[in-house]
Amino acid sequence: MSPPPVPLAAGIDPWRAAGAASRRLQVSGRDAVREATLANGMRVIVWPVRNIPNIALYNWVRAGSRNEMPGATGLAHFFEHMMFNGTSRHRPGEFDRLMEAEGGANNAFTSDDVTVYQDWFPASALERVLDLESDRVARLAFIPEVIESERGVVASERRLRVDDNSHGLLAEQVQATAFVAHPYRFPTIGWPADIQSWRLEDLQAFYRTYYAPNNLTLALAGDVDPERALALARRFFEPIPAQPAPPPVRAVEPEQLCERRVLIRRQAQTPLLQCAYKAPSAADPRAPAVSLLLCALVEGDASRLHRALVEDRQVAIEVGGHWQEGFDPGLLWLSLALPAGADPEEGLAALDAELAVIAAEGVTEAELERARNLSTVGLWKRLASIDGKAQLLGEYEVFHGHWSRLFDAPGEIADVSTDMLRAVAAEILDPRRRTVGVLVPPQSSPDDAAASAGQ
Amino acid sequence: MTVRVPEHERLSLGNGVALVLMPRRDVPLVTFNAVLRGGTLCDPSSRPGVASLLAALLEKGAGDRNAYAFADVVEGVGGSFGAGAGPETIGVRGQFLARDQQLMLELLADVLLRPLLEEEELRELAARQVELIRAAKDSDPAELIGTYGRAFLFGEHPYGRPVFGSEASLAAIDREDVGRYYDGQFGGDRLILVLAGDIDADLMARMAADSFSRWPQAAAPPPVLARPRPLAGRRVLLVDFPGSAQTYFWVGNVGVDKRYPRRAALDLVNTLFGGRFTSLLNTELRIKSGLSYGARSSFARGSVPGEFSLRSFAQTENTGRALDIALRTLDRLRTEGVSREMLDSARAYTLGQYPLGLETAADWASMLADLELYGLGRTYVDDYPAQLAAVGVAEAHAVIEEAFPAADAVAIVAIGDASRIRAALGEYGPVSQMALTDPEFSGWWASGDESRSRGG
Repeated sequence: MSPPPVPLAAGIDPWRAAGAASRRLQVSGRDAVREATLANGMRVIVWPVRNIPNIALYNWVRAGSRNEMPGATGLAHFFEHMMFNGTSRHRPGEFDRLMEAEGGANNAFTSDDVTVYQDWFPASALERVLDLESDRVARLAFIPEVIESERGVVASERRLRVDDNSHGLLAEQVQATAFVAHPYRFPTIGWPADIQSWRLEDLQAFYRTYYAPNNLTLALAGDVDPERALALARRFFEPIPAQPAPPPVRAVEPEQLCERRVLIRRQAQTPLLQCAYKAPSAADPRAPAVSLLLCALVEGDASRLHRALVEDRQVAIEVGGHWQEGFDPGLLWLSLALPAGADPEEGLAALDAELAVIAAEGVTEAELERARNLSTVGLWKRLASIDGKAQLLGEYEVFHGHWSRLFDAPGEIADVSTDMLRAVAAEILDPRRRTVGVLVPPQSSPDDAAASAGQ
Repeated sequence: MTVRVPEHERLSLGNGVALVLMPRRDVPLVTFNAVLRGGTLCDPSSRPGVASLLAALLEKGAGDRNAYAFADVVEGVGGSFGAGAGPETIGVRGQFLARDQQLMLELLADVLLRPLLEEEELRELAARQVELIRAAKDSDPAELIGTYGRAFLFGEHPYGRPVFGSEASLAAIDREDVGRYYDGQFGGDRLILVLAGDIDADLMARMAADSFSRWPQAAAPPPVLARPRPLAGRRVLLVDFPGSAQTYFWVGNVGVDKRYPRRAALDLVNTLFGGRFTSLLNTELRIKSGLSYGARSSFARGSVPGEFSLRSFAQTENTGRALDIALRTLDRLRTEGVSREMLDSARAYTLGQYPLGLETAADWASMLADLELYGLGRTYVDDYPAQLAAVGVAEAHAVIEEAFPAADAVAIVAIGDASRIRAALGEYGPVSQMALTDPEFSGWWASGDESRSRGG
């Protein structure tokens, strides 16, 4: 026996009403955020939030694998590791020991564009954390034995993420093939031989060039008095002298003239298909439309590609997508995980049929509204925590010109029209401007002729 | 300043439903967390994965909506809906914009009370799940190692079952299995429902009562979990992953349950042993030796003791060296114990970090359901800082004795290239071997079928 259902409030058209909601909601807090540019050019941004007695810190360094050279790929990422390994004041390991003893935890990540250092700590540890963070920017030590030991750690990380991982292995080859001139072709983790060959001089030069205060943006969110945080930031970071601006990355990727193909045979049960399309940079005015396009294509069970390829045609077991939003034009990835024994060419044909329709017709107003609402909720989810707030402040400051643009994000999401979305779809989803990666088990026999036709 | 359970309301509907309402207005989102007692422990022992498939099937059509219409209405307003099984629960949770909270509750009532449970959807989900397990084996063996470890350690005990099923069991599950679970184990007395965030508490309470207060009790009695027996001695499972660059390993034994009275001391000792970057394990396997990207340890604590486990990985030729270090470090914890100074550092760290997991309405929706599920009460949160403050060296050493296994009484699982590591693993105890591509997570020792043992 079931109880009677509770009726929905009558007369609400969920599409229309939800759209109105995403337009109406404003992110509050803009007036509470404080910022400063230190005398040495370093940017500091503070957002006071008092839900829990903690602070999240993100220190953004404008250096990633984009800033590397052949023969020394992976250096930016290796640096991320070395930044925890001792200064002229603190022995290796002290950074973590001191931070943890005051209740703090930390991590870091490196991408094509940036290296980001993260700390999460009780408000009482603010001074200690800023002291430690400034110390490693000012006085990093390079101890030969520690460099050797850390090489082993990074090699292990590479085996985990690339060598023993079908997705990682294929993506590395696709990215290396998608770019011929731009350093976005370098894998962030580094080529194996490069991991073994960095020299002390390489590290010292990289540190001098990129770990300069004028190349850093520090974002804090949490239980903090902004004026005190800014004063502490001045005390610890301002004495560090500015350096000449890092050399700009001048390489511009030439227009891609034809589809490129990568085929990997690896001991695996399930084949993979990845398509990497050339896509705009993060600061491109079309960025909100690109984000919503990706959301309409792959986010959720009702997304266009999930429904068509996983549910209707059942050619894939999973679809995914990712836009590498960087300083320079990068890649928009669409990937399909395929069932064992599947022919990747069939998966690709099914994907292409869907994308051709999207490129020609765009998506419906209902699909766009769904994408707008999902993106709006996604933004609010990140804004619910001090970690999300600190990361968002930094992202907008570093990639979108100013932290305050964050507060315009709901409006930008709401303003994307079906016409705008169709225009970016037509431009990005062009088979001539993509690189297709296929991974298959050795015993299967995909159409090799087709796989190499685009080379 | 510290973190305490926020103001909330707990209502008990007549039929056994526990309803918890926690308003919080920082962002315009509402979260629901519906927890149903049951889970993998209700699966037929020969076909694990029934609870997990049922959970996934709940969203594939309910009330007047088929699977597509359901996804359209949820995602159309930007909402999310996710269901999954655990060892002792099926959980359904989601998040919506505050303006859609009525719709959210209506959809939840459909999912729990009026799921369509269509056979074709079930077949598609099961087939896809089989392929997703294969895909995980291809790309994330470290992610699956706990599933192999629990199967090896717990054997026939329900904690040994793969929550999401195995390739073999998923192929065998049919509509009847799922229907039997739903008919027997779903009902008002099994439901804990937490609604948190920017809710209209009065409206939500009224709607929840209208929807769920007449839901009959589950037809079958709730299954009872036996306490698992710890492993005496040492044994090794080798899962062959030919050509792998690294060996991924897991070392475990039966630990303690959710109501373990020395929980604060347990958290401090585990923090020191394998719970943070400077832990003993990570110091030995990463910081000092450079052998591995990382090493961690943890306790899974349920109604009865789950597993203590440590996990790491190292290049194939360093398998023995890394395992030696891991076991020696476990041994050292027992022989050397911890110092007052170490405890103070772990205390500061644990006190400093735990508020970060109790920040958002979604965090509280999880914690409040847990308190209800395990009968813990708000003191579990509110008294935690005082309990941490009171832990001394003697209690820490008692915990090491009670909860951490001796290095010579552990199950060891290694996923790696058998042809290159089998000899090294033989040093640690009798070795059972299976292939990563085998369609089960356990081999002959559980099923009695010796023909599946390969390369023995």
